[in-house]
Amino acid sequence: MIALLILMFTGIILLEVPGLVKKKMWRELAAFSVLLLIGMALIMPQAFGVVLPNPSEAVAALFRPLAELLE
Amino acid sequence: MLEQGKIDSNQAIMLLVSMVLSTAILTVPAFVIKFARQDAWLSIMTSILVGLLIAMLVVSLSLRFPGKTLFEYAEEILGKAPGKLIGLLYIWWFLHTNALIIDEFASFLCTAMMPNTPTIVFFIAVVAVAAYAVRNGLEVLSRYNQLFLPIVLGLLFIVLILTTKDMKAARLLPVFDIGLVPVLKGATVPASWLGEVVVLAMIIPFLNKPNEAYRVAALATLFTGLVLTACTLAVVAIFGPVTSGHFVFPVYNAVRVVSIANFLERLESVIVAVWVFGGFAKVGVFYYAAVLGSAQWLGLKSYQPLVAPVGVILVALALLCRNIAYLLDFTSRVWPPYSLSVYEAGIPLVMLIVALIRKKGGKAVG
Repeated sequence: MIALLILMFTGIILLEVPGLVKKKMWRELAAFSVLLLIGMALIMPQAFGVVLPNPSEAVAALFRPLAELLE
Repeated sequence: MLEQGKIDSNQAIMLLVSMVLSTAILTVPAFVIKFARQDAWLSIMTSILVGLLIAMLVVSLSLRFPGKTLFEYAEEILGKAPGKLIGLLYIWWFLHTNALIIDEFASFLCTAMMPNTPTIVFFIAVVAVAAYAVRNGLEVLSRYNQLFLPIVLGLLFIVLILTTKDMKAARLLPVFDIGLVPVLKGATVPASWLGEVVVLAMIIPFLNKPNEAYRVAALATLFTGLVLTACTLAVVAIFGPVTSGHFVFPVYNAVRVVSIANFLERLESVIVAVWVFGGFAKVGVFYYAAVLGSAQWLGLKSYQPLVAPVGVILVALALLCRNIAYLLDFTSRVWPPYSLSVYEAGIPLVMLIVALIRKKGGKAVG
């Protein structure tokens, strides 16, 4: 599982980064890196079995009153 | 321009139909039947009106800013900072909704067809294929959809006709037995699904004839709503309101009962085909909206570099919700009021009113 994820991330980086560096698209490269880091930060703990908070819970907490109105 | 491709009106209609129909057809009838029992079809008819209103709202807003997507005109209407905030909210909504769709996609395949395969396999498979389509642009996604939607709809139509043998019209009676309130409550779920037409705000700039956008939105909403009504009627007429309210995937169950001369059986795989083709188109459209939106939000020259990282985020978000019971509860009770009030009606309405007051954008064409 972990090896598969590392393989996947390496593949994504090899696919995108050389082209971006060649075309000198630094802004795009920065956005790519930040988003990929967010993705890694979200997926790696789950691969190790850590349970992360589900964002749906926050939405549910906010909208429960409105939802209960519709029961 | 980040996207050079142009799509025609028919492609846009088909894209919207498979975007809403493919997930709606699986779970929505059960949610509606729970509220409105045998009057579920009335609920869906009501929701078509809501869907049409949302479609008109989004189209009239988009047409004031030709060639611009929601992320660009939000800043023009509301100013830089509030516009950026709205953009961020929509990126979040596209990602979150897409994660729910991917989750539903995988849960269905896992629960109904392949219980021994880990769900992450389905997550990665659908996201990887969608990523390939999104990276190649809107035209590729639309052409894929144009190719498969007619086949899928044709199959669905044939299968629905074959189920008529098991239907009893008496199960739909009495009409309007439980009054207006449950019918209206039942309408919120399909209304929020049909309201996903708000994604059109990301597609209208790439229509080759933008003045046909009203027609596109109205036809897509009407068609989707009517197919959904037909499926719900079929389910209730086969099982009655009590049993069908307990199914998780009622249309799938309805097709399972088809058995003609002990020969034509196991037609539920057709529904799986509808789901896989349509679900992929749906994931693709939301994925595209999120990626294009993020690129415009950040002011990038190209959106392609963002496709892969956003895909990783999508898989991660889909992994966060692993329980199908929680997923169904969330998508039937919390997601509809949340999406309807904020993203589908609320924000577009506020933007249109502010645009009218501040006289932003040209007069709507068409």
